Amino acid sequence: MAQGTAKTDYQGRIHNLQKDMIGRYYARLTAAAENKGEKAIYMLISGNPVELIEAFDMIPVYPEVNALQLAVKKQSLPLILAAEEMGYSTDNCAYVKADIGMYFAGRKTPFATIPEPDLILCNYVGCNVYLQWFEHLKEYSKAPIYNLDVPFFRTRSDDPSAEDVRYVVRQLEELIEILERMSGKKLDYQRLQRIVELSGETGALWSDIKRLARERPTPFDAYFDSVMMMAPLYCLRGTEDGLWFFREAYKEMKQRADNREGPLSEEKFRVVMEGPPPWPYLRQFRDMFSRWGAVAVASTYSTVGGIWEFGFRHDPQRPLESIARHMLQWNLTNRNFLQRYRQIKEYVDGWGADALVIHSVKSCRLFSAGQGDMREYFTKQLNVPTLLIESDLEDPRYFSEAQLRNRVDAFFEALEHQRLVKN
Amino acid sequence: MTYGGGVDVGSTQTKAVILSEDRQIVGRALINTGANVSLAAERAFREAAASAAIAPERIAYVVGTGYGRYKVNFGNAQITEISCHARGANLLFPRTRTVIDMGGQDAKGIRVGEQGDVKDFVMNDKCAAGTGRFLSNAAETVGLSLDEIGPISLEAKKPVRLSTVCAVFVESDIMSYLAEGKTVQDILGGVHSAIAARTVALVRRVGIEPEVAFTGGVSRNIGMVKALEEKLGLPVNVCDDSHFIGAIGAAIFALERALGADASAGSEKISPVAAPASSRPRASAG
Amino acid sequence: MGTTLAPDITQLDFLFASCRETAQDPEFTVAKRWLAEHPGRKAIGCFPIYCPVELIHASGMLPLGIIGAGNQIEITYADSRFQSFVCSIVKSTLELGLTNRLKFLDGMIFHSICDPARNLSSVFERNFPDLFVEYIHFPQNFASPLARQYLATEYRRILDGLERRSGHRPTAEDLNQSIDLYNRIRARLREIYRIRAETPHQISAAESFVLARAGTLMAPEDFLKMLEQVLAGLPGRPTRPKDRIRVVLEGSFCELPPVGLIETLEEAGCYILDDDFLRGWRWFTEDVPLEENPLAALAESYSERAYYSGTKHDSRETKAAHLIHSVKEKKADAVVFQAAKFCEPALFDYALYRKALEDAKIPHLLLEFEEKTWSFDRARSEAETFVESLLFD
Repeated sequence: MAQGTAKTDYQGRIHNLQKDMIGRYYARLTAAAENKGEKAIYMLISGNPVELIEAFDMIPVYPEVNALQLAVKKQSLPLILAAEEMGYSTDNCAYVKADIGMYFAGRKTPFATIPEPDLILCNYVGCNVYLQWFEHLKEYSKAPIYNLDVPFFRTRSDDPSAEDVRYVVRQLEELIEILERMSGKKLDYQRLQRIVELSGETGALWSDIKRLARERPTPFDAYFDSVMMMAPLYCLRGTEDGLWFFREAYKEMKQRADNREGPLSEEKFRVVMEGPPPWPYLRQFRDMFSRWGAVAVASTYSTVGGIWEFGFRHDPQRPLESIARHMLQWNLTNRNFLQRYRQIKEYVDGWGADALVIHSVKSCRLFSAGQGDMREYFTKQLNVPTLLIESDLEDPRYFSEAQLRNRVDAFFEALEHQRLVKN
Repeated sequence: MTYGGGVDVGSTQTKAVILSEDRQIVGRALINTGANVSLAAERAFREAAASAAIAPERIAYVVGTGYGRYKVNFGNAQITEISCHARGANLLFPRTRTVIDMGGQDAKGIRVGEQGDVKDFVMNDKCAAGTGRFLSNAAETVGLSLDEIGPISLEAKKPVRLSTVCAVFVESDIMSYLAEGKTVQDILGGVHSAIAARTVALVRRVGIEPEVAFTGGVSRNIGMVKALEEKLGLPVNVCDDSHFIGAIGAAIFALERALGADASAGSEKISPVAAPASSRPRASAG
Repeated sequence: MGTTLAPDITQLDFLFASCRETAQDPEFTVAKRWLAEHPGRKAIGCFPIYCPVELIHASGMLPLGIIGAGNQIEITYADSRFQSFVCSIVKSTLELGLTNRLKFLDGMIFHSICDPARNLSSVFERNFPDLFVEYIHFPQNFASPLARQYLATEYRRILDGLERRSGHRPTAEDLNQSIDLYNRIRARLREIYRIRAETPHQISAAESFVLARAGTLMAPEDFLKMLEQVLAGLPGRPTRPKDRIRVVLEGSFCELPPVGLIETLEEAGCYILDDDFLRGWRWFTEDVPLEENPLAALAESYSERAYYSGTKHDSRETKAAHLIHSVKEKKADAVVFQAAKFCEPALFDYALYRKALEDAKIPHLLLEFEEKTWSFDRARSEAETFVESLLFD
């Protein structure tokens, strides 16, 4: 039986802290836009060398984060429409369209003015759309571009090949030369090591936080709360501020775990969530699960920036190599589809989940194309109850609340019934 | 005697069923939903009770289902039509393991367990391909009624290949074929075949296991029954009551909760009650 | 028709008709016949765009283009694995596998194209455990010499995988022989495209398309002979140029349009002087040099001797600039951008092409197609309208 519509307050202390920190990050972007700040390096979230950017006192700009912020603030649609008028298709990724729309609207958003790029660093980590996106931004901004080619994790072994690692490390060296020319300074290697050390510690804390979700009840929702906690991981990784945030976050979550406090009054179902969230409708989407007492104990989307819960750490003794491995192997998007199945299975088993929910989004084919096969694998081979629902991550036109609710309800009705029958 | 009531509020029609404690359908009603959904729910329920010659207050528990289930104000619970369809099909055809439901505006596939529990489901409610809407557009284009197109489609000698499953574009497709001189039988044969193929592809996502029950408004179309059987390579079960499957399933849930509440005070336990053989309605294979 | 026609012409028509049949055959009859005639030999399927077929051939195996199933089969199983917003070729290729039509293959090689294509390789791996499935990551950092070295190593890795299947380790000599053979094939295809650009009435785009496609479904030695026959027969064909507009077609580099669609465009009044059909099998602009290190030669040629294409992100020059150059060089009137439905790379490219073409004042038409179409009325109307707008200016 659904729990009714008691509105839960999803905003804890950490959420507010995160808002402040990201607010300050965006203020730096605005300063850069007004030529009073650092050089702006456009980059993608997934598996990136932000540590190098920090080492040169430059500021990372993430079009993906800007796009999702626009969606959350319900500003994405007019920008998407503007891009479609320019010739972008309804079938192109809406993140890109919102970003391009924003670029041509003077790069002004309610949260910042986004600076023009000084360098477009396309860290090609799995997602092919990344290549197109940055190719287009280069065309529009005329800024220099560097395609940092990260070979896709395509082999059957547990690690990327030595050749792949070498290829990426040598490209990082090429990148360093470019950054040195741009900044007029040589790379301070020890500074880089310190930054990489901070990244390592931050990753370790994030991993510890994620492992707390194994508790019953989980102290936080590993999907809805994780995606909110993620932003400092990209925008502030490798900084003291970033580390401090994750220390605070861990303290809070640990305390909640010790007090047996979860995000809901009663945790009835533990699920693994696969796929990006519908950013324009985050709250409504969350409510659909909360009313059934369903909480996420793990999610794949929260690992696009990096997977630390299985032991990876940035290593200050081998900074370039560990950055390379992070990009090659320790993030979601550069891994192949079957590796994602294994990752999800690991979550189901290790975090004690009752079911898998696949949120398929039209924009993101890296995530979504073939999720029917994923569903088949989990239901038929592993007997894990799986729900597959569809909407979009950025475009509000593809979210159909009544239909989604129907499917979510039918799914949990059946799960609830199974449980009653078993007892 | 305990009675359970199920009200299925669809977008075009509202159905209500009253079940007696021994799982007999003692009353039913079918009306157009119209603009006032809660009124339609209430009317359907009262008519069903009247047809059973039972006062509405005597019905111990009512479950609302269908897209308008939250508008069944007098209901005791709301359960999705997926769960209700599975239970309803299980009552009418106890060996059902797959339900294919084709309604006016959506299509569903449900894999069902022995007790009528939902094992897996898939829905198409994004486009009208595979729904009654497609068929009614097609019927209109060839100038026939929905009731006529099924039998006529069975007379096709060389069914045409439709280039679209879009309910809007099917009209221009059909008109091209008519202009080319194709017979109405061949065109309708092609229409039914295309829809059946689309529906089967949808249901394959949950896996197809015999026996297959075909429910929803479109199940009354003999042409579609045959087209599905051909695509599946399996017989499908249909019956006159297929319209009411959702309401029947809702009434079963209602009955179980009414009886469960009697048996163990205060608990919400649902005990699956086996259907006695005599309650199985006549199945018309069509 | 009268007796004044030379016998060669009907032979050519017959050849094209048989190519068309091969191109539309979802059962791979021609390839299977060859395998039956060469017992012990194996076949490796290549998903479209560029696949280093020389590696497969030098390993003693037959490379075949597994490029969807066109409009020949119904998709009943693959729909449950891939969503509705994924292009048809991904689903139809999976359907070929799920309906056991690919059992005669020993392997499938996938490579960088787009996200759905890449996920498809994983789905193949899981669903067909007996199949040798490999994925080639093509470099996208063209500005750096590192990319070429990386690719040569990647080719070595693929060759090792092929060897485990074939039991044969090709020498540099073997590789160069295969490169030479495919060089000759590609040179003749380039010649045919040159003829099309200069005298488009001699061979239609549809004919050249089915010819190229048939070539991906047969032994290269046989295809070479066929190409020579075509080139010998073309000069003798009657020359009756029609009043048509001259277009360059782009965007169809992966999913194959139905032949009927190409014919419809031509009948609507277009001479298609150039296109990117089967771009992967016509990847090089000139011969790959025969060198001591064939893998390095192939790797270098991948970026230095290749056409600009949707799946390559060579930041040294823009694709639009190359398209416009091609239009001017061939004295074309317009561009037809024909993208497969849901084709992300093509649809992204279109946004940039559109602006560049508008700036260069080159008229263009955007058409979206699906491989599984068999009725072309709508496309015909669109194309005719476009042609009229240009002819009646």
